[in-house]
Amino acid sequence: MRIVVCVKQVPGTNQVYLDPETRSIVREARHAVLNPYDTFAVAWAARLGSQHGWETLALSMGIPAVEKLLRDSLCRGIDRAVLLTDRLFAGADTWATANTLAMAVRKLGGADLVLCGKMAIDGDTAQTGPELAECLGYAVVTDVTDIKEVSRSQVQVSRHTESGVQTLLVRLPAVLTVAKDSCPTRMPSIADLARGASRPLECWSAANLGADPDRIGQRGSPTRVVCTETPPMKKQSRRLEGTLEQQAASLECIIREIVS
Amino acid sequence: MPQDLIRPMTSDQADYLRDESRLIGQAEWIAFPETEQQLREILASCRRSGRPVTIQGARTGIAAAAVPAGGVVLSLTRLNRVRGMKQNADGRYVLCAESGVILSRLRKQIEDRHFAVSDWDEPSRQIFEQFRRDRTQIFTPDPTEATASLGGMVACNASGARSYRYGPVRRHIQGLRVILADGQTLDLQRGREKAAGRTLNLTTEQGGQLRIDLPTYALPQVKSAAGYYAADDMDAVDLFIGSDGTLGVVSQIELVLQPLPDQIWGVTCFFGEEEQAWQFTEQVRAAGETGLLALEYFDRQALALLARYKAGHPAFARLELSQRPFGAAIYCELQGEREDQLLEAVARLGRQMEHAGASPEDSWVARTAFDRDQLLFFRHAAPECVNLEIDRNRQREPSLTKLGTDMSVPNDKLPAVMRLYREDLKASGLPYAIWGHIGDNHVHVNILPRTAGEYETGKTLYRSWARQIVAWDGSVSAEHGIGKLKAEYLALMFGEQSLSEMKRVKNACDPGFLLGRGNLFAPPEGRKTE
Amino acid sequence: MSCDTALPGAGGLWVLAEHDQGRILPVAFELLGRARQLADRMICPVAAILPGTVDQAGVSALIAAGADEVLTCADPALDNLPEDPCTDLLSHLVRQYEPAVFLIGATHWGRTVAPRVAARVHTGLTADCTMLDIDPKTGLLLQTRPAFGGNLLATIVTERHRPQMATVRPGVLPEPVRDTSRRGRLLPVEPPPLTNRLAELSRLVLPPEQGIAAARVIVSAGRGIMSQKNLALVRSLADLLGGQMGVSRPLVDMGWAPVGCQIGQTGQSVAPDLLIACGISGAIQHIAGLGQARMLVAINTDPEAPIFQFADVQVVADCVPLLRQLVRDLSARRKDGGLGSEAAAP
Repeated sequence: MRIVVCVKQVPGTNQVYLDPETRSIVREARHAVLNPYDTFAVAWAARLGSQHGWETLALSMGIPAVEKLLRDSLCRGIDRAVLLTDRLFAGADTWATANTLAMAVRKLGGADLVLCGKMAIDGDTAQTGPELAECLGYAVVTDVTDIKEVSRSQVQVSRHTESGVQTLLVRLPAVLTVAKDSCPTRMPSIADLARGASRPLECWSAANLGADPDRIGQRGSPTRVVCTETPPMKKQSRRLEGTLEQQAASLECIIREIVS
Repeated sequence: MPQDLIRPMTSDQADYLRDESRLIGQAEWIAFPETEQQLREILASCRRSGRPVTIQGARTGIAAAAVPAGGVVLSLTRLNRVRGMKQNADGRYVLCAESGVILSRLRKQIEDRHFAVSDWDEPSRQIFEQFRRDRTQIFTPDPTEATASLGGMVACNASGARSYRYGPVRRHIQGLRVILADGQTLDLQRGREKAAGRTLNLTTEQGGQLRIDLPTYALPQVKSAAGYYAADDMDAVDLFIGSDGTLGVVSQIELVLQPLPDQIWGVTCFFGEEEQAWQFTEQVRAAGETGLLALEYFDRQALALLARYKAGHPAFARLELSQRPFGAAIYCELQGEREDQLLEAVARLGRQMEHAGASPEDSWVARTAFDRDQLLFFRHAAPECVNLEIDRNRQREPSLTKLGTDMSVPNDKLPAVMRLYREDLKASGLPYAIWGHIGDNHVHVNILPRTAGEYETGKTLYRSWARQIVAWDGSVSAEHGIGKLKAEYLALMFGEQSLSEMKRVKNACDPGFLLGRGNLFAPPEGRKTE
Repeated sequence: MSCDTALPGAGGLWVLAEHDQGRILPVAFELLGRARQLADRMICPVAAILPGTVDQAGVSALIAAGADEVLTCADPALDNLPEDPCTDLLSHLVRQYEPAVFLIGATHWGRTVAPRVAARVHTGLTADCTMLDIDPKTGLLLQTRPAFGGNLLATIVTERHRPQMATVRPGVLPEPVRDTSRRGRLLPVEPPPLTNRLAELSRLVLPPEQGIAAARVIVSAGRGIMSQKNLALVRSLADLLGGQMGVSRPLVDMGWAPVGCQIGQTGQSVAPDLLIACGISGAIQHIAGLGQARMLVAINTDPEAPIFQFADVQVVADCVPLLRQLVRDLSARRKDGGLGSEAAAP
């Protein structure tokens, strides 16, 4: 039995700078971090893997520096890691990303359980998990808050819905996207760092996957960004001047006009 | 004109009568200067009318230095602008900030590289442009209460966990603007205004002459925030840093920034026995680990308190705790430029754990912002739990307050002082928890009295420890300052002769004994009333 | 764009009519309103897709809101909108009828089913759009959403794949005025073979939170509030004004406030009469959630904070002492029976 956990590197801050000369987005590379939701997917994988003796594998698509994040997963109890890295993968939208990850899972011989974070905080789409499930033909449950009663053919999960919490039995193989704080996270110990350093980590290219260049990266992406712009400004605006007391008094007048 | 600036206190301003010490004082007037000019007018007016003045920043102090003892509350909360930036001779960035600036806000501005620069002068803006492109900078002092004001931090020479490596606030101040009790101003730069031996001659910007005969004592060779700083040929700024708001009002501070290390990792090591943690501290310190920023301690009682609150209080539910009960924990913070260096340093800590009889399996290594936040939450949860515990006890017995110590000893007295605390507390039966800056032999003993009787027992213990620590050449206040609550221990530490030398300094700067009345020592007889 | 009306809905704009046990959700009407405006420019039909059983009043409401056709599949197995069979049905219908555009509400359900359908039929999908338009030159659907950490607006197109799929959060688009005189066709369709790999064991319905989505007054806080303790001030002001507290995402990320309070692209969209934003810098992903506020007051120490560009009233000040002052003033007045005593009464 095998668990694959998919992780993504995201900018550690929402602060992006628009370079005034080149008009391109500048992000400080040193602030790149593991997508916070994926932290919980990794924690679940390590926990279920050690409870049931299943093999665990961390998978990511990204630049070579993402190796560092995968190494971190290995220090947190994941058995091995694969990084999909190739210029041909660049510029992928959610479908092309899901398709690439699915090819890697198939190359591994499939998985019984695929875990992802509920969404990535840079794109905010929450689409890659369900799209990956479809590319693999697996069942999927999103926004999972708890995983229990795991057997070789099914798992019991709870998840958020619009009106509350639903508990479901899911037939395996399945993709689960997990919610924040759904699993206690475990920081690696000094001993775990030594263990993680010796675990296998491979890099695969598009050729390794045997990928069709028309179905990966920007070329394989159904969607395309045609323009970016700063948002329009609001009409008229007034500024409240004066000391703090004066500002508070003016504001109180405005509030009283609306709330009376 | 000052009548507008100094107003009678109203009933809804009761907040300004207290600080985090929870001591409640009294005052008739309150002022919120927004400029240095207003500040001068307020002080000159108080001087004329003989009204005592208590200086307040963000009121996060726990030694009651900001609690008024009659007269006027001088709140600096509206002197809260960052005025400019320069670069010092070492190429470090220096921020010029008013003393009401809040530390957490300043940190965010530094991190985001975002200041309201529209009213800065041209040289400041040029330096800022360079700062914006340079590597990330940091103001290193890190008191637990990040909502402290810069002025408050200067007044008590605050420190925090990272002062193990970076030292207290004093080390990061390049200049101060000080308004004396009579409204005259001093512009002081480190290296420029210096004492000759133990005599300090200062000229105010208005041309006034000030001769200060500095105290002749030698300060203890430990982390200390007790009493006026004094040394041969010292800088004038150092006299005002740590003076607990008794010598003048600091209106503007020049603080020196450092480049943020590329990597900062946190390692929490757990030990079965407290002795193992003490031994580990001594070993790591002796090994001279260069990247070590902080060494913080949690005793068995502190860990048990955290476990209890995690189980019973939703706010602490996300607290990460080990499954097994441990006897003690040490938080080590490491910095470095490269990951492999840090990995090696962490492995060395693992070997030191084994050497002290613990297992490297029983540790947490935080290398990501997420994990560091978890550890920060863990460290800050201890004081929060203690405050909740005290609040609960106060419901039954409203007169109770926390008894928290802040004393430091020389390196060779570490195991002795830890044993002294533990054995006395065990014998007394008082509930307690110990944590703090063990790297500087400076831990906070927190006694949590449940009854008035226990409170008295605790005070007696505190007094006896202070006596022993003074005998060991330690300090009765390492970072919180003396304020009003520890004046008794200051006298114990320095003795009558040195105390009268401090009063001589006070008299030279503030002859009317108007500023910070009751801080450090009581005013001389005859000056107690207006 | 040419429109072939031989097949129902073909080449047209589709809107998924999500419902809760037969009660159609407002987001379906919001989407229909916008689809109607776009279809009038494209000259093609609007179809509402309705899996499961909904009564005649529901169908009429969809037509009144802008649908020309309502495709229903009244199979009782679909009544609770189970995700697996619904994905089967919607993918089947898309392949059979080839719509040009397919819009789905970004509810919990929509955010799961829309990407599944998109992947199964191999097309593009844009999540949480804040604007939808038609490019007059190419006839392509222009899907606009905050991107790059929410500081820029990106416009996205799906050029070669069909349908062009997008989701939109509830409350982002205005609900259209219903025209009960409109005519439309009801078209029952046969389901394909349905599969289900998920079995529901239990469903816990939590009482709806006193939501911020419907609040008339919101006081919201961002990182400028500085400490969790200060949120008490925000709540006090909200209580005094009979309103609700909202927060920006960083506060939720730090665990200071529950996710239910979060305003923004990935949180709640709000439409209050008054919104007082305290210490919020104004990332676009946050602004995306408050576009419908009638009066936006922004308090921030930084005169160049982006939020001021969207605010009706700008206050350059530290929000913490300002809030303290306001709460003090308002509570004093409330004691005198002056302000908001009715609105704020529990």
